[in-house]
Amino acid sequence: MKDVDIKKLSKADELIQRIARDFGLDFMPQEFDVVPAQKMLEIMAYRLPVNYSHWSFGRDYEIERTRWEYGYAVPYEVVFNSNPARAYIMETNPPSIQILVMAHVYAHNDFMKNSRHFQVTRRDMITSASEAASRFRAYEQDYGSDEVERLLDAAMSIEWNIDPDELIRPETEDEARDRLYGWLKATPTGGGFDDLLPEKKRPDAAEKQKLRDKTPPEPTNDLLNYIIDNSPRRLREWEKDILTVVRNQALYFMPYRRTKIMNEGWATFWHEKIMSRLFAERFLSPEEHGYYNLYNSRVKAHNPRTINPYLLGWALFQNIEHRWNTGRFGPDYEACANAAEKHDWDLHLNKGIEKIFEVRRTHMDWFFIDEFLNQDVIDDLELYIYQEVDKTTHLDLEVKETDWRRIKKMLVQNLMNWGIPRVLVLDGNYHNSSQLYLKHEFEGFPLDDEYCRKTLEHVHFLWGRPVYLETNSPKTGGPITYYIDGDGIRVRTG
Amino acid sequence: MAVLKPDYDSSPRGLSDAARHREKIKEAIRRNLPDIISDEAIITRRENQIVKVPIRGIKSYRFIHRQSDGASGGFGSGESEEGKVIGRRPKPGHDPAGKPGEEPGEDYLETEIDLAELIEMMLADLGLPNLQKKEVRETKILKGWRIDSLEKHGVRPRLDKKRTIKEAIKRTEAMVQALSEMTGKSEEECRAALDLAGGDPVRARAMLDAGPVAGGQAGSNAIYIDGPDLRYRTITEDTEFHSNAVILAMMDVSGSMGTMKKYLARSFYFWMTSFLKTIYQRVEIRFIAHTTEAKLVDEHEFFHKGESGGTSCWSAYDLARELIDVEYPTNRWNVYPFHFSDGEDWDVQRTVKSLEKMLERGVANFGYGEIQAEHSGSALMDAFKQKIPLQSRMMEGFSYYEGQWGASPVLGVVIKDKPDLYPALRVFLNTGKRGGGLQKFIG
Repeated sequence: MKDVDIKKLSKADELIQRIARDFGLDFMPQEFDVVPAQKMLEIMAYRLPVNYSHWSFGRDYEIERTRWEYGYAVPYEVVFNSNPARAYIMETNPPSIQILVMAHVYAHNDFMKNSRHFQVTRRDMITSASEAASRFRAYEQDYGSDEVERLLDAAMSIEWNIDPDELIRPETEDEARDRLYGWLKATPTGGGFDDLLPEKKRPDAAEKQKLRDKTPPEPTNDLLNYIIDNSPRRLREWEKDILTVVRNQALYFMPYRRTKIMNEGWATFWHEKIMSRLFAERFLSPEEHGYYNLYNSRVKAHNPRTINPYLLGWALFQNIEHRWNTGRFGPDYEACANAAEKHDWDLHLNKGIEKIFEVRRTHMDWFFIDEFLNQDVIDDLELYIYQEVDKTTHLDLEVKETDWRRIKKMLVQNLMNWGIPRVLVLDGNYHNSSQLYLKHEFEGFPLDDEYCRKTLEHVHFLWGRPVYLETNSPKTGGPITYYIDGDGIRVRTG
Repeated sequence: MAVLKPDYDSSPRGLSDAARHREKIKEAIRRNLPDIISDEAIITRRENQIVKVPIRGIKSYRFIHRQSDGASGGFGSGESEEGKVIGRRPKPGHDPAGKPGEEPGEDYLETEIDLAELIEMMLADLGLPNLQKKEVRETKILKGWRIDSLEKHGVRPRLDKKRTIKEAIKRTEAMVQALSEMTGKSEEECRAALDLAGGDPVRARAMLDAGPVAGGQAGSNAIYIDGPDLRYRTITEDTEFHSNAVILAMMDVSGSMGTMKKYLARSFYFWMTSFLKTIYQRVEIRFIAHTTEAKLVDEHEFFHKGESGGTSCWSAYDLARELIDVEYPTNRWNVYPFHFSDGEDWDVQRTVKSLEKMLERGVANFGYGEIQAEHSGSALMDAFKQKIPLQSRMMEGFSYYEGQWGASPVLGVVIKDKPDLYPALRVFLNTGKRGGGLQKFIG
């Protein structure tokens, strides 16, 4: 890349910062690295600029590269929640695209700085991952790369079985016991609502003893952390390190997972506004405007087989802005039965921008969709649900559902717990013999049998003692229990 | 300045981890060979194409919700109405055109692999050493007689006159030259002296030394044949080496052989041909379809057309025998007759007789594959067991029958479903290894 192009990008950077501040965006210092395609694809596959080695990253790298080489996808940007925030721009993209990306990145930056859900994540992940990578290399030398790979396979299989809502420091078992014990012995305050509180309970010695012996003191969905702290396999320090790194990275990425639609929608919403200012100020030429339009339409393209989060998020923010500008919310608006009146409804509130800034601070995708997705947006975007229909020689993808209520219901269900089945650790000392008892919280969606078995093998490897998993049958929906020990897996009903 | 172009060392991390992933794919292929070889996409591929192998096992396993009843779906957006088809996807393992799926890596990973590499893996898995072309089995064929060399002694009828005269000319000319050099006389005078001396160089020399020689046939090209000039031919048999194999694929195409049964037979023939191709320079396959009558058909008809009617297997064996006599004599061809049926036969006695006649021709390996819907006694296999006779054997949980007719190994396998294909192939290759067919060039 020529110096003159770098100069142009630096100039754009200044302008974008000024415009973004004008719009009220509030961001951390931002750095951009312009990198060749190979590096860009690597960052996308490895999730971080420098990360430890694993074959699954290699696989994803090949997938990304194939998608790029065949023109299925153009990598735009990757941005990390660090301070200063760091973003990567693809060297081979034309300058107008790179500038689009920069505008986009500043909105992400604002989102990461202000969204409630990004507040607990560590902002030193880039360095931390790079340090972990060199430690893991040393482990490979000392303990063998097969050993390291085996452990990583297992750790990554339950990387998302963590508690996304945990505080910066997880509670220890004793602290949890104290808290629970406190609840047990807590006496109501004696106010006027005593009758609403559970009946006073005096903990007896047996109950206290039970609580003292119980591990975990209360069910936890942080399976990975529970294993790190309690595995009877007696994990060695280097093994604990690997598991901890995998867990920390998953915790770091959790807010991205939980706000994907909002985050991309927010960034798209603002890059459009910033870009039109850049064109208005004639920083970019009409020719570049053509390029921009082309690429911007690809960012917001409809995807017949999946929902484009850039498009859906953008449309929702647009819709919220419009509704709060015109006052199309609240009981009066909802109650209005006159179609014509509703159509022209405008209270000139101009609270749109204020509202979207508020939403970006408080919401995550699940509640964002639940609260704001409405018929207008679904009809506008022509959202639908399709299903594969077996045509003996191939499968046809057929549109099955276009009713907005059902689409919204399904979408919210899908976002529940971010698509990760909740698996709770009920007992780490089952049968009083260090067996692990897990329970899948059944929400109407059974677990995939093949995946479940393989994952349990990994859990068993990490735990070293028999493992139980209570769930519901994929076939009948009735309760079943998986049991795995050194002899393999068995499933029994009930 | 916030925009930088950092100087990244292009550490090939992505590439090296991708290589590890590919290694794992190969491991998975090895583990899943029995599944993979029964995949329709492979055997229906176009000639010389790279095979796309669906791999299960390189997925990143974690707790996930089950996709609904195999027919999964999702959300999409764009112009639509209920019932509109927004795309299609080839069914896993059902990819007649051999084209890559539109959306690779969705529910299974696909990897591309060279057919030759896949066969190599299978052979390795089957415990067979790497087969090299030089170890190819060759057949020696007598073409007639061939002059091997010339010798100075022999019998009169094998005297090579041309070579003898050639030797005589050479010797005569050498004598003339020598006389001329020794006496200093002209070649013509020397020739004349030699003529007068009747070809005796000693006398000719004496005459020349005594004074000028005149007369004789000076200037003539007379040559003098003597004992040392005689050349006799030795002859040896003339042979030629061939490395040919032919598969005589026979199949019952009567109504009872359904699509699945034909598919199993087809898969077996495909792999048999592929294996033999690694061994022989030339492999042909001929298709004999039979009901009560047998006829030569092309591949498409063989596998796709069914006919109504009864089943007389002898007709196929008779036709195979004729084919061997006319086109594939066993001194030039390694003949691999293989017959698939569902075990039904109208005239078992006659079939056994016809089989024996065919086996008399000295085939490399005869195989009989019975495709049964469920286990049931079969007239044909029972008859073979008695007459050949065949011994019941087990190999890694797969039972089969094995015997010997003259020098030809005979093999019987029962295939019930796709998972039986791989063990059946293993049996076929191993029988060859021990008994005859493939034995001459392996280990």
